[in-house]
Amino acid sequence: MSGARVAVVQFPGVNCEAETVRALARAGLEAEVFRWTRPARELAAFDAYVLPGGFSWQDRVRAGALAAKDPMLDELATRAADGAPVLGICNGAQVLVEAGLVPGGSDGPARGTGPDERVQLALARNRMPDRTGYHTRWVWCRVEETPCPFTRGLEPGTLLPLPVAHAEGRFASAKKGRLESLVEAGQAPLRYSRPDGALADSFPDNPNGSEAAVAALCNARGNVLALMPHPERASTLGQVSRTMGGDWGVRRDRALAAADGSAFGDGPGMAFFHGLAQHLGGVPA
Amino acid sequence: MSDGRQVAQAYVELLAEDPEAESALAIARGRLAAGRRLRSVRRVRVFELTGTLPARADMEGLFHRSTRFYNPAKERCTVRASERDPAPFAPEEALVLVLDRGLERRPAGERWWKHETGEKVEVREGTVWALAFEPGEDAAARAGELAELRDRRHGLFANPHFQDWRPAAGGTPPWPWLERPRKRGKEDRP
Repeated sequence: MSGARVAVVQFPGVNCEAETVRALARAGLEAEVFRWTRPARELAAFDAYVLPGGFSWQDRVRAGALAAKDPMLDELATRAADGAPVLGICNGAQVLVEAGLVPGGSDGPARGTGPDERVQLALARNRMPDRTGYHTRWVWCRVEETPCPFTRGLEPGTLLPLPVAHAEGRFASAKKGRLESLVEAGQAPLRYSRPDGALADSFPDNPNGSEAAVAALCNARGNVLALMPHPERASTLGQVSRTMGGDWGVRRDRALAAADGSAFGDGPGMAFFHGLAQHLGGVPA
Repeated sequence: MSDGRQVAQAYVELLAEDPEAESALAIARGRLAAGRRLRSVRRVRVFELTGTLPARADMEGLFHRSTRFYNPAKERCTVRASERDPAPFAPEEALVLVLDRGLERRPAGERWWKHETGEKVEVREGTVWALAFEPGEDAAARAGELAELRDRRHGLFANPHFQDWRPAAGGTPPWPWLERPRKRGKEDRP
């Protein structure tokens, strides 16, 4: 047990805070919901931060746009610059991108603003054939080589089944080739893949049309991660969808057949929370 | 339009107070320098149709009965069938049209229109933010600053990585407005 304190930052409209706290506690972390009504400066008392999924401020103006202006994001930017881990899940990822914390770093000359502050990407509306709007399904994600602490326990090439549920999850940039350059720089810890591990170049394996099949992006240092899939909804084996096969499917089926409680064993999503606990506790992965 | 196709615009606004506009006003005034002297924000959805179109009264009836465009129980709709028709904006309002790049078309609306009228039209949708500032403020300049997201302190309404924005002053939207080349130039800025 690392005992490190994690703030699960809740804006109005966020709806995954309880599951996220449970997943963090399961990894041995001391997690609590940090509501938007508390003074932002109190965030400094925590070791790490998670922005959970949902619909902060009802997605008004644009998903994540209003929460990104909250003073709490200034505090999180300060803590992230000091090296504190920050994980944004789904709507939390949208907030981090809209706030300029991901991918962070310079992307050419800034126009009157600091290079680390500029918004360089968007999580745009899904681009799907013959449908629009909100889409949810389980997808395969391939782990890539990155400095990100949240995936430190996973070998590159590992496939994880995870659920996605969003209407705006397509990593996009106005700058051609920007996503590819971030992948090459080792800032894409997860990419959508087919069940055989090949990159997903089309729907439904790539569920939103994300450029370069990017499912998650981190900053150059690796401590701030914008993750579109929901690991907290895959924290137990029994949660893994019956639509997903592979090793995880076999383990799920065995656990469910055993009916001995093993279905409550760790699911694929726990890797992110264990990675955080190992990082905070100084435990080698 | 020069190619002979007709244009119509339908402006749809909530009858009740719009929480989205209220939140945008609060955030812009409280967190963004360009928004400190903002007096009001209205959010208006706009549909633009191009093709062979019926008379204005018929179009109003079509919009009214289709769920593809608006809900008459909670929204009002103002149809412009020609450039001379009034738009639901005040002269002092600076307008910012926001479009999701490459996703402006509404195929479901086009299918419905074809089913009802037999005519193939193009339907596009965008969001207009109508911004009114305190007297003496350079409304067009401030609206431009608020339009494009740059960082946590600058810009709000359009994330340029997937959205385009187009300004209009004097409360009068261009004709057409949504169907235009996507390239933004200096002349496009307020």
